[in-house]
Amino acid sequence: MERKGIIRKLKSLGEELVNDIKLEESPKIRMPQRSIGNIIFNERENILELGDKKSTRSFMNVAHSRKFMQTILIASKCKELVSRNKTASIRELYYQLKHTIPGTKENTFDDQSESDPLIVDLETALGVLREELHLKADDKGTLIGKIKIEDSGDVIDCSKLGRSGLSIPSIVEQYKFVEVDAEYVLVIETGAMFDRLVEEKFHLKNNCIMVSTKGQAARGCRRLVHRLGNELKLPVIMFTDGDPWGYYIYSVMKAGSMALAHESKRLGTPSMKLVGMTMTDIDTYDLGNVTETLKDVDKKRIRELLQYPWFQKKEWKKELQLMAKKGVRIEQQALASKSLEFVAEEYLPEKIENNIMLP
Amino acid sequence: MHADELFKEFRETSITEFFRKNRAHLGYSGRLRSLTTVIHELVTNSLDACEEAGILPEIYIEIKSLGDSHYRVISADNGPGIPVKHIPDVFGKMLAGTKFHRNIQLRGQQGIGVAGVTLFSQTTTGKPIRVRTSTGNGKVNEVELMIDITKNRAEILSNREYSEYWRGTEIGCELKGVKFSLREQGPFEYVRRTAIANPHAKIVFVDPEGRKTIFERSSEKIPKSPVAVKPHPQGIEVDDLLNMAKKTKARKVSSFLISEFSRVSSAKVKEIQERVDFDLNKNPRRLKWSECEQIVKAIREIKFLAPPSEGLVPIGEEQIKNAVLNILDPEFDAVLTRPPKTHSGGVPFQVEVAVAYGGHAGRNVGDGVKFEIMRFANRAPLIFDAGGCAITQAVNSIEWKRYGIRDYENSPFTVFINIVSTHIPYTSAGKQSVAEEKEIIKEIRMALMEVGRKFQTYYSRRRRAEEREQKRQILMKYSIELAAGLAKLANKNEDEILKGLHKLIDKRMLDYITEEVEEGREEKEEAEMDDLFIENSDQ
Repeated sequence: MERKGIIRKLKSLGEELVNDIKLEESPKIRMPQRSIGNIIFNERENILELGDKKSTRSFMNVAHSRKFMQTILIASKCKELVSRNKTASIRELYYQLKHTIPGTKENTFDDQSESDPLIVDLETALGVLREELHLKADDKGTLIGKIKIEDSGDVIDCSKLGRSGLSIPSIVEQYKFVEVDAEYVLVIETGAMFDRLVEEKFHLKNNCIMVSTKGQAARGCRRLVHRLGNELKLPVIMFTDGDPWGYYIYSVMKAGSMALAHESKRLGTPSMKLVGMTMTDIDTYDLGNVTETLKDVDKKRIRELLQYPWFQKKEWKKELQLMAKKGVRIEQQALASKSLEFVAEEYLPEKIENNIMLP
Repeated sequence: MHADELFKEFRETSITEFFRKNRAHLGYSGRLRSLTTVIHELVTNSLDACEEAGILPEIYIEIKSLGDSHYRVISADNGPGIPVKHIPDVFGKMLAGTKFHRNIQLRGQQGIGVAGVTLFSQTTTGKPIRVRTSTGNGKVNEVELMIDITKNRAEILSNREYSEYWRGTEIGCELKGVKFSLREQGPFEYVRRTAIANPHAKIVFVDPEGRKTIFERSSEKIPKSPVAVKPHPQGIEVDDLLNMAKKTKARKVSSFLISEFSRVSSAKVKEIQERVDFDLNKNPRRLKWSECEQIVKAIREIKFLAPPSEGLVPIGEEQIKNAVLNILDPEFDAVLTRPPKTHSGGVPFQVEVAVAYGGHAGRNVGDGVKFEIMRFANRAPLIFDAGGCAITQAVNSIEWKRYGIRDYENSPFTVFINIVSTHIPYTSAGKQSVAEEKEIIKEIRMALMEVGRKFQTYYSRRRRAEEREQKRQILMKYSIELAAGLAKLANKNEDEILKGLHKLIDKRMLDYITEEVEEGREEKEEAEMDDLFIENSDQ
């Protein structure tokens, strides 16, 4: 959407609220509910979508007053950013808005964790994207492989960035894929495993692009993987730890997240598959002595995943139930118990070659 | 009543030595309790003397530290003074008080009072007590005295008489093996409570650190002097009967009973005669123990009219209210004096209660305030032995939660209870706790429930007002920021938006009040809908 359109949307939100006040009614903002009760799993497309349920944030409800005020401060700051054609990080936005409320000892915002979710509220209330509000997050995630990307006139050759690779920014819309020589994309959960595979030159030997999410994936990383899969028609394979947390990161990459369900279509990669770690790997590769015992939080998380509609495929139910039954988890790096090279030379090539993967 | 008249009723009873061996009976056990008991005896003595003489009391108490566990106590009053010939009796003789042989509602019921101070002082320090007193006749006497414990008699060590126009009594004594503390059982708290129960008295208290507290008078009304009433037959013991019989002027047992007891008529004497195996026309001085036993037994079987209640002098609702306001300065108080009732088959008593909330109510403990019970018997504070006391039991049996006080034990909440009676049934000679007579407990409970209901009305109204005000402040606070943000967002005038918001807030507050009045229920908050599932995926 053009800048003018965004400014118009923000302004008309303000005008509606001023009008509410004139009519002696409580100013209120309506937005789609983003609780689990309003998340729909679209099985055909394998993505999470927002339902039709709306919630209302009303200033005169004292339980909402503070959040309401904060949302308006954010909206007003975003309008200023877009007008001035500046882009701020969400942390900068937090600091721009944080101050003591006159005549009190209270701050407008106490922590960035207060402003971040309200940005999402504003996105969904207005039906605009974060980058359209001229907001960005920190870079998170790394890419390496035989691909040349054009960014603002410069061409980056991602196979010539040494061992460190390309740091993935929060906004990747401006990226153009100039030249690609890869057969698939391998997305890796942990930075350490990414480093191992880079040292083993896995991406060169196997002709793939490697991306590290470094834990839960940021929007930029998810968007970039989505574009690589969609625009270049490359298969995407994910490699995570064998625990409920790794599997959830996978599900977010594949189907989208509940918090950003309104963006699943832009961020998800429904065709993605998971190569490991799986519970069957433990037996296949004789890793029984390098597993970790599940903690109570792990067990609780397994039960939660089993409730989610997008974990109802029989392969996944089997996998999670097997994990609960064995009572163990297995990390990617446990493969080092065989040898440092094992993961690059045997485990991954063998599983990918034979398509031993979870949907 | 003139001072000479007051003291002519002194009689002797030699038990000084007995009490020397049993000083715990007098309240002289423990370092803190001993000091509080000394203050109690001195203050009580002054108050009783002033009241009987119709004087508005002004009392000065000072405690000075002289070393480890070693203190000097000075007390002074503007009372009637003590005629010099009575000084040895007042300060040197146990059970010689004016009250012992009269059935009267006074603070120091058993007359073991101030002589105990003399005794305690001399047994711990070996020093005499110093008394300066004058009846206002232009002559002042300064006397030093000790007790000859074998003879139960005061030994005057020195007596200096000089001319000065002044009236009152000043006592100075040294004590060892005692300890001052600001704790609940300490002298300060004792004096504070005395001040509350005696709004007609002005009391100045100086603690060992030199801190001076003045409890101002909140009433100019001297309490009605309690009338000595003849004892009611029910409640009499064999021992008492025998003693009275020895002293009566009556010539026959029958006329002795009629003249010395209340509610005993010749018809009642006839009923007694039917139950005993000797002639009630005999000389009362010849009564034997076994015959007295028969009479007491007979009395227990016969119904008598309830005793007259003119012997009771409650503090009065207005006076209590003034005192509570004066000293506790609470946000809310409720006071109640119940009509007289009887306990133990015929002893008249009356219960007065007050509750105070907020202000200086409650007991300060470290950084917080806790619930406190102030117990009084005939206006004298009961400080010790709270656990076994009927008052404590009655207060704790009340479900304060029902009256809107959620966490009463941690609230700035004071419950004041005064029991007035010609005979308070104490659990022990220490006179610090009231026996659990069911009539007394019932009366206290009735009184507390009634003030509890008054409290509830006030408290729930205040709580709703507080909640309303809190909401208003939240909205006012955020409306400033909201107006600034909205003005920029919509390109409108900030002041106008703010004015509009304030109008909205005022209207909403009015709605709250209407809702409360109409439905009398609390405003229910809309359920918090923002039950968002926030992941940390969004960085």
